[in-house]
Amino acid sequence: MNFDFSDEQTQLQDAVRRWVDKSYPFTHYRTTVQAGGFSRANYTQLAELGLCGLLVAEDHGGLAMGAVEAMLVLQELGAGLVLEPLTDTFIASSVLAHFAVPQQQVQWLPGIASGDTLPALAWIERGARYNHTACHAVASAAGNGFVLTASKSMVAAGDQADAFLVSAMLDGRLALFWVDRGATGLSTRGYGLQDGSRGADLTLTATPATLITRDGTAALELALDVGIASVCAQGVGVMDRTLALTADYLNTRKQFGVAIGTFQALRHRIADMQMQLELARSMSYYASLKLSAPPAERRAALARAKVQLGQSMRYVGQQSVQLHGGIGVTDDYIGSHYFKKLTQLELSFGDTMHHLGEVSARMGDSAGVFA
Amino acid sequence: MDLAFTPEEEQFRSEVRAWVRANLPADISHKVHNALRLTRDDQQRWARILGKKGWLGYAWPTQFGGPGWNAVQKHLFEEECALVGAPRIVPFGPVMVASVIMAFGSPEQQQRFLPGIASGDVWWSQGYSEPGSGSDLASVKCRAERQTDHYLVNGQKTWTTLGQYGEWIFCLVRTDTDCKPQAGISFLLIDMTSPGVTVRPIVLLDGEPEVNEVFFDNVKVPLNNLIGEENKGWTYAKHLLSHERTNIADVNRAKRELERLKRIAKAEGVWDDTRFRDQIALLEVDVVALEMLVLRVLSAEKSGKNSLDIAGLLKIRGSEIQQRYAELMMLAAGPFALPLIREAMDAGWQGDLVDGRLVGFPGDALHCAPLASTYFNLRKTTIYGGSNEVQRNIVAQTVLG
Repeated sequence: MNFDFSDEQTQLQDAVRRWVDKSYPFTHYRTTVQAGGFSRANYTQLAELGLCGLLVAEDHGGLAMGAVEAMLVLQELGAGLVLEPLTDTFIASSVLAHFAVPQQQVQWLPGIASGDTLPALAWIERGARYNHTACHAVASAAGNGFVLTASKSMVAAGDQADAFLVSAMLDGRLALFWVDRGATGLSTRGYGLQDGSRGADLTLTATPATLITRDGTAALELALDVGIASVCAQGVGVMDRTLALTADYLNTRKQFGVAIGTFQALRHRIADMQMQLELARSMSYYASLKLSAPPAERRAALARAKVQLGQSMRYVGQQSVQLHGGIGVTDDYIGSHYFKKLTQLELSFGDTMHHLGEVSARMGDSAGVFA
Repeated sequence: MDLAFTPEEEQFRSEVRAWVRANLPADISHKVHNALRLTRDDQQRWARILGKKGWLGYAWPTQFGGPGWNAVQKHLFEEECALVGAPRIVPFGPVMVASVIMAFGSPEQQQRFLPGIASGDVWWSQGYSEPGSGSDLASVKCRAERQTDHYLVNGQKTWTTLGQYGEWIFCLVRTDTDCKPQAGISFLLIDMTSPGVTVRPIVLLDGEPEVNEVFFDNVKVPLNNLIGEENKGWTYAKHLLSHERTNIADVNRAKRELERLKRIAKAEGVWDDTRFRDQIALLEVDVVALEMLVLRVLSAEKSGKNSLDIAGLLKIRGSEIQQRYAELMMLAAGPFALPLIREAMDAGWQGDLVDGRLVGFPGDALHCAPLASTYFNLRKTTIYGGSNEVQRNIVAQTVLG
């Protein structure tokens, strides 16, 4: 039991932080939001830092690092409100490493690691909410391969992505497919999301696809758990900044002749925010460390983590706005963007109520971190 | 970064587990697992068993006869004791006053007092709070006047937990009034059999005399019962409180009680009620998050890196969780939490004689007997040890300055 980071891990985190400070100031974030919420140039810079290949094996051109390194990177990207979705890159790297055959890994992973291939997970369908097994997309055999007919939403930067991991029913079972951007019958419609990033609908009509695995449930569950851990890490990064910003504001803003940070009602709110942040940080560690556990244990753990993070992100976000007063609800102020990011993270990969249901359904007789 | 304990730590755990399971009397663990009344004898029997093994002072360094365990080993010991249903070690002697005597007492005081604490033979009480002092500990008024060969103590302490059993009491006393409050306090060890000491129980809302008032009326205390220097008691008190607050998360007991809550929920038919079960699930997440927070603190203590100054958070969260599981247990029992039959909280109670035959707890729901009392009793947790509002002041100070 040890929660120290190695020097290497700290250096990696510092490098990402320096890049964010230098290349991704708030003004740059704003420009990117106005340009649609995704910049390929930004994504390429992340690739040049080696981050796109963080979880990819060295044989495929990656850095072969693990969940803890990914967590530290995502904390910094969250803190910097970075809009380009490494979450899906990490999901694709993890899923392909576990479920794709070696030949497919050789074919796809080097492009992901280099940043040439931007992958996106396409799993959300209207009516299914967060239930990944309620899938209407259909796959059928065609010649040597398969064709997919599907309608997915909320695909991260979906109109910019080069390839998609798509869940679809094959012979009555959930399966996972790889679909290239240029495939016939594929169309996307992009839109901005609440946190300024970009999403898209993906429509496939008899679109050629490559089967990754017939065990789509297991693969998709791994994908979602990697996504949850990513959300947790980003959430911690955003909350760190949110609390610091709020504390700073309370110590400078004067009312009735004194800094409002002297008022006990507000100080106690700060204490409660600090509590939520530290519980969240603890559960973000837990999420990342449990990603390598056997599937049932991993699922239960990630659901627990998301319940904590969901509550924490909502509390810290809402209270930050409240403690700021009027300035907190303006678009000019970075705090409102932290709040929107935290809100979107809560609704990503299953919200608090959804995961509370998961925890409830999986609850055993024993209790605690190791139960 | 690694969540798992090391093989050496796991080995340590299994040795501790084997010993605790073999040596904890079954009648005591039965009471703990069912929240039945513990007697003085129960407490002291277990303390002496631990004392004989050298584990009552489980946090003590080897130079004072302790096992010299590190933070993780101490945690594992606490966890194994809690899960198997051992009573909490009554902390006033082996945890609190011992740490002050070891850190600030003279060699003579160490030789005189530590053996009786380590063996569990001498019952210590805490004389900190006074009427009106609340969480403002520095407002101590209980007076100790230095005479030629003794201090003359006059005043009152209150909220003295289990003081009715106390043989010795450590007290914060005022030795100087002509300075700022913190500067005139001394730390005094007082024999409770001294003439002029009176203990009067305070019955709490659950009907139990868990705490007491202790009166000092011209009590003569030998000068060599003073710890360290006169008027430096505040320093020693703070040292002691830091020990009190790291244990106060009590996450291991929370794990045991969450398991008990699940058993009660099943027995009472609310386990399959989604509305109720989700509340347990929420508590389960709270307990895991608290345990992770505790493990982070332990990791930092073990490695000496990234030290975490979050005792306030642990106290707030730990106490809230204690209150919540007690609340849910009571709610699970529903109307059968309401009968107040005090004898039913004693082990072995068979029922009341009605028309010549024994009649048990209403609805045969004997396990419901202590639930409301525990709920009422645990309202204290957010009040004692520095109320949670005071803790929030402390936490806010770390963020805002």
